[in-house]
Amino acid sequence: MSAQRGSAALAAMITALLLQGTLIGPLATAVPLSLPAVLVAAAALVEGPTTGMAFGFSLGLVADLGSSHPAGILALAWLSLGLVCGLAGDRRTVLGDVVIAAVCCALATLFAGLLLAVVHAGGATAWVAARGALPAGLGDAVLALAVIPLVRGFLRTETLRARRGLVPGIDLGTPRG
Amino acid sequence: MAAIVLAALALGFLTLDLGGGSLRSAHSGVRGALGSLYRGTDAVLGPTRHFIQGIPSAGTSHSRISVLRHENAVLRGKIAATDADRAAHAQVARLQLAATSGGYRIVPARVIALGPGGGFDWTVTLDVGTGSGIRVDQTVTDGAGLVGRVLHADASSCVVLLGADPGSGVGVRDLRTGQVGVATGRGSAGFTFVPLDPKAVIRVGDRLVTGPTGSTSFAAGLSVGTVTAVRTSADGTTTATVRAAVSPTSLDLVGVILVGGQPLPPRPALAPAAQANR
Repeated sequence: MSAQRGSAALAAMITALLLQGTLIGPLATAVPLSLPAVLVAAAALVEGPTTGMAFGFSLGLVADLGSSHPAGILALAWLSLGLVCGLAGDRRTVLGDVVIAAVCCALATLFAGLLLAVVHAGGATAWVAARGALPAGLGDAVLALAVIPLVRGFLRTETLRARRGLVPGIDLGTPRG
Repeated sequence: MAAIVLAALALGFLTLDLGGGSLRSAHSGVRGALGSLYRGTDAVLGPTRHFIQGIPSAGTSHSRISVLRHENAVLRGKIAATDADRAAHAQVARLQLAATSGGYRIVPARVIALGPGGGFDWTVTLDVGTGSGIRVDQTVTDGAGLVGRVLHADASSCVVLLGADPGSGVGVRDLRTGQVGVATGRGSAGFTFVPLDPKAVIRVGDRLVTGPTGSTSFAAGLSVGTVTAVRTSADGTTTATVRAAVSPTSLDLVGVILVGGQPLPPRPALAPAAQANR
C-alpha cells in the first residue's frame, strides 16, 4: 500500500468517526446509523475483500477503543462487513452497490448487537439488536447513496488508484472498480 | 487466511478487554484523543447540527410565532441573542438554581458528541475535563434531573455514561412513600423501578429521585422520573415503569456536580447564590 493510500485511509477513518460522533449520531438518535460502517462497505465494494477487511478491522478497533463496550466487537463486525461487501459487490451500478451496502450494514449492526448481548455489554439484548437492524439498514442506504459515489470517485483518482502488485507474492487482492 | 488472522486478533482484543483492565490505557488514550478532536469538530459543525435539529419544528405554529417574535425583537434592538443562546441562558439559569438549592458546585458543560460506536453506546462526550475539576464518577445533571455519571475524563473532555444506559442501575427513592429501590435504564424508554421492599405500594404518578446519600454513587435529590405503570407479579414483587425526567436523546447544555474537595477549575463553577454573593 502506498503512502498516499495509507494517509487517505487514516484521514477517512478519522473523518468518519468525527462526523459520526458530532453530526450523524446526534441527528439520528432513534436509528443506529453508522457512517463508519457505510464507509467500510463502500471501500470494500470498490477495492475488494482484502482492503475491505483491513480497513473494517482498523476502523472498528479505533471505534471500539473510543467506546465504553469491550474492544473487538466492532472490529470483528466491520471486518466481516468488509469481507462480505468485497465479495458481493457487483461494481457495475451505484444503486446495486447501495443495496448491497445497506443489507450488509444491517447485518453488521445485527451481528455487533448480538455480540454485545453475548458479552452482556451495555445491557444489550438479542431483541434490541434484531429490532434495530432493519431501521439501521434503511438509514445506512441513504448514507450509502452519498458515500459510495464519493468513495468511488476518490479511489479512482490517479493518486489513490490501487496498483497491480509489483511483487506477486504479496498481492493480496485484485483492485476493482 | 487474512480474514482468519484478523478475526483471531479481534477475538484476542475482546478476550483481553473482557478479562480485565489490560486495554484500559488504550481505551483511555483513544477516548482522550477522540475527545479533543470532537471538541474541535463540534466548534465547526455544532451550528450546522443545531440548524438541522431545528428543522422538524420549524413548521409548527408555535415555533413560527417564536421566530416572528424573535425577528420583531431583533428589529427593535431589544434582543440580540439567538434562539440557541436563549436556550443556553435558560439552562444556565436552571443549573444556577440547582447549585443554589442543592448546595452543589456545578460546572456547566456542552454535549459535543455521542459515543462513536454507531448507536451502541449510551454515552455522550462533554467539553469539560480534568482541567475544569471533572473527575470520574461525578454526577451530571440538566439542572433538575439526572443525566448520568462521568465514566472517563481527560484534560479537556469527559465521557458520561447516561442513566438511561440499559446496563446502569440508579439508587432511587419514591418521594411519596420514601421507599428506596433500584431504577434500571431502558434507553429512550426510561427506567424500570424495583423497590427493595417487594411489598411496597407504588402508584402511577409517584416521583423518583436519586438517593439516599451514601447508598448511591449519584448526588442525592435529583429527579429520575415519574412512574407511569405498575405491575405486580405472581410472587407479589412490584415493578414499575418510569418515564425519565431527562430525555437522553435531546441533551445539550448540562452541568457536572463537583464533589469532594476538587481543585479550583479554570472554568468558573456555578456556586450556590449565597456563596456567590459573599
